[in-house]
Amino acid sequence: MDLIHPRTAADVADALREASTSGRRVLVVGGRRHIDKGNPSGVDAELWTTQLDGVVAYEPAEMLTVVQAGMRCDALGAMLAEHGQEWPADAPPEATVGGVIASGSSSARRMRVGPLRDTVVEMEFVTGDGRLVRSGARTVKNVTGYDLHRLAAGSLGTLGVITQVALKVRPLPERRLTLTAPGDLPLATAIASEVTLAAGVVATTDAVEVRLEGWAGEVDELAAAVTRLAPASTPEDLPSFPRAPWWTWPGDATIAEVAVAPSRLVGVVSATTTYAALAGVGLAWVVAANEDELGELRRRAERAGGIAPVVRGPGGLGSADVRGADVLRRLKRSFDPAHVLAPGRSLADLPQTR
Amino acid sequence: MADVDAARRELEAALGPDAVIADPLGRRLYARDASMVEGGCALVALPTTAEQVQACVRAAATYGLPVVPRGSGTGLAGGATPIGDSLVVATARMTRIVEVRPEDRLAWVEPGVPNLDLANHLRTRGWTFAPDPSSQQTSSIGGNVNTNAGGPHCLAYGVTSAHVLAVDMVMADGSLERFGAEGPEAPGYDLRGVIVGSEGTLGVVTRVCVRILPVPPAVRTMLFGFDSVDACAATVSAIIAGGVVPAALEMMDRGIVRAVENFAHAGYPVDAAAVLLVEVDGTEAGVTEQTRRVEEAAADHGVSSVRIAADETERAGLWKGRKSAFGAIAQIAPHYHLHDCVVPRTKLVEVMRGVYAIAEHHGLIVTNVFHAGDGNLHPLFSFDRSVPGTLERVLRASDEVVRLCVDAGGALSGEHGIGLEKRDFMPLVFTDEDLEAQACLRSSFDPDGRMNPRKVLPDGARCGEFAVAAAGSGVAAADAADLPEGSWI
Ligand SMILES: Cc1cc2nc3c(=O)[nH]c(=O)nc-3n(C[C@H](O)[C@H](O)[C@H](O)COP(=O)(O)OP(=O)(O)OC[C@H]3O[C@@H](n4cnc5c(N)ncnc54)[C@H](O)[C@@H]3O)c2cc1C
Ligand SMILES: Cc1cc2nc3c(=O)[nH]c(=O)nc-3n(C[C@H](O)[C@H](O)[C@H](O)COP(=O)(O)OP(=O)(O)OC[C@H]3O[C@@H](n4cnc5c(N)ncnc54)[C@H](O)[C@@H]3O)c2cc1C
Repeated sequence: MDLIHPRTAADVADALREASTSGRRVLVVGGRRHIDKGNPSGVDAELWTTQLDGVVAYEPAEMLTVVQAGMRCDALGAMLAEHGQEWPADAPPEATVGGVIASGSSSARRMRVGPLRDTVVEMEFVTGDGRLVRSGARTVKNVTGYDLHRLAAGSLGTLGVITQVALKVRPLPERRLTLTAPGDLPLATAIASEVTLAAGVVATTDAVEVRLEGWAGEVDELAAAVTRLAPASTPEDLPSFPRAPWWTWPGDATIAEVAVAPSRLVGVVSATTTYAALAGVGLAWVVAANEDELGELRRRAERAGGIAPVVRGPGGLGSADVRGADVLRRLKRSFDPAHVLAPGRSLADLPQTR
Repeated sequence: MADVDAARRELEAALGPDAVIADPLGRRLYARDASMVEGGCALVALPTTAEQVQACVRAAATYGLPVVPRGSGTGLAGGATPIGDSLVVATARMTRIVEVRPEDRLAWVEPGVPNLDLANHLRTRGWTFAPDPSSQQTSSIGGNVNTNAGGPHCLAYGVTSAHVLAVDMVMADGSLERFGAEGPEAPGYDLRGVIVGSEGTLGVVTRVCVRILPVPPAVRTMLFGFDSVDACAATVSAIIAGGVVPAALEMMDRGIVRAVENFAHAGYPVDAAAVLLVEVDGTEAGVTEQTRRVEEAAADHGVSSVRIAADETERAGLWKGRKSAFGAIAQIAPHYHLHDCVVPRTKLVEVMRGVYAIAEHHGLIVTNVFHAGDGNLHPLFSFDRSVPGTLERVLRASDEVVRLCVDAGGALSGEHGIGLEKRDFMPLVFTDEDLEAQACLRSSFDPDGRMNPRKVLPDGARCGEFAVAAAGSGVAAADAADLPEGSWI
């Protein structure tokens, strides 16, 4: 396995031009925390973004920062926290900004902070054939041409290498509180629909964890509302949410990420043993002990109109109904004509199930 | 060569004769949007279902007519202005709110639903659709989606894109696809996100799944008057830098406040140089804390008058002034050109000064009412078109405003889009490579350039990967001379 270790966007462009000429197949690697998703195969070289980790601009009053894609999430978090701000990713410390965006991850607090993809307002990336392209602008709002950066969110490194992004950041909450109560997904669902200003409500097999954030008095009011629904809850000031994020689960069992309309979640995960479900959002991380369990989970997800791609271990993205397959193929052809990026996981190669 | 007659016959058979407009007078109503650009079309179709939209797109392809999707025609960039022998597909008869599902925080609606109809429908059930463009009474959800519309309440809640979960779209080849999902984002390219804001150039949206939000338990609305525009604009930055992101943060200058007071009698301070309308929401305690901080920021900048709405009636009164701004400007002069550009909000003071200087230099009346919290300016030039040379001066001033905003690190449009009006400014902010990549994206949806050709991208931008030009192949050769007046070539 070759290693490409670019220090500038121009280095990335050179490497990809070379790869497109020679046919060398390249996998982009950030913090390697989500690299299983889509199960790449037949990789000739890894392109590490480790050295693309600089801060280009940070204007706290603008609530906007421009950073290179290889910047680690812990470093970014520390820089922003100094000015009382955050980029609400909640990714593992060693994950990179580019990796989080390319893997389509979002915070478990997304009921309050929104999907992460909406924080990306400008992007520079290098196409598979080595062209450096920019889209968006360093403003909080913008309708100027096509949002190419939207393509990159969730693209798993198949269209280009993200080299730099401008991110909307937000003020850190004055206060945060985690309430934990014995309970299940139906209780969590009730809390999420009653306490609509909660940041996140996670149900595991036997407990419900509620995250509250905001102005101090506001958090007290919300806590009172949660306690009415779950009287046995214990309040704690915990830095991370949830207490045990799914990426820290021990062992190497396969984990699938269920995504369905929020009200359908109960029917999909209630039969499984180990899971963490985000009530009110429709996401759940579920351990699948073997292929049969994965297959069964996927059938339930599909019946509920959703999907269950694997995010750790083998199993691929599943039989997700690919929309606009022709569009995907043409996109792949125009952005990575030699087909050298993220081999084995091109979304454009998925069978069309319609 | 387009065969308009054959297209008309086929459409009449598929949609019924009353759903096809071919006479010159009828077509004239569809010759423009709310911008200054006037065009013309060969046919107008008024489908009621997605299948009928498919029939329209297929007939247009068969007989060589480009397709121009149209909502309510309130767009300000010429996006819905047809050019050449095109078929306008208007969604005015697709106005059903299909279902509202609070348990999933979503609603499915047809594209022709006026924004305010959806908002009112939801409000009676305790829910809201956050994007509230000032045109909300008329503008359609389909139009909002395709321009990624903003509104006063998009500061805290995000623009339209953050509130669209999925769209059904008729593609250039006539097939119907769904992009996005009712649940959280699936792995894969966010094509939903690409379609939002694409100004009708990727397909015709036939159904939208919108995210709905619960009405916040508490809200407070405040109006601050300032003796100088600088102090008012500086307060905007100070509020946000202080950690408060209000639900809305709108600025109006003296010219617009006076016009509004004559028109709507909302009780705005007519002697102030500028006013700031601020709304915060959340729980009762959250609202109290934010109000305190906002008041503090205003006091630090020498606020001259403060009004805080005590109840819902007073709140409605404060909003009435803002919402009637566009109705009020008709008194200033018969015509207006409403501009839209966006700058980093810390540059507001400097850019506002520049806007006034440009207006003065060209001897024009400019007033400002805009989404200050987003850094989204709307300088509005009022004029009388019948006075020789005036339109030219307005266009020159507008050109300078665009450059001023770009020089301040801004973008060409914050919410109205590029359409025809601003497409030739695109090279100001993007390189040839950037534009080529955008053309490739467009061609991936529409390889033959059938959907709303010649909008958004300048004529030269094309995707090398595709033999056919991205912009413009659907109509005759790309010749600037046949573009309508006002497209700022
Ligand atoms: C089971 C599980 C569940 C998780 N759930 C969440 C969650 O809900 N929220 C969350 O925030 N995190 C979650 N994570 C953590 C997740 O791993 C990180 O958010 C992030 O994906 C890791 O970033 P990375 O830098 O390690 O990316 P990597 O693992 O190195 O790469 C991720 C993907 O992005 C591509 N990529 C990386 N960098 C770039 C680039 N610069 N340009 C283009 N493509 C690039 C890679 O090719 C790969 O396809 C989860 C992890 C696991 C294992
Ligand atoms: C007085 C006034 C105030 C305004 N205030 C605001 C404001 O606060 N914020 C804001 O963002 N805008 C504002 N606008 C601009 C305008 O109202 C918005 O751009 C609005 O979203 C357009 O909606 P529409 O239905 O009128 O669309 P149209 O003008 O008909 O079309 C707009 C664009 O969308 C495309 N389109 C429309 N429907 C579809 C469809 N179903 N499928 C595919 N493409 C489609 C058209 O081709 C065109 O490119 C204002 C306009 C006026 C006149």
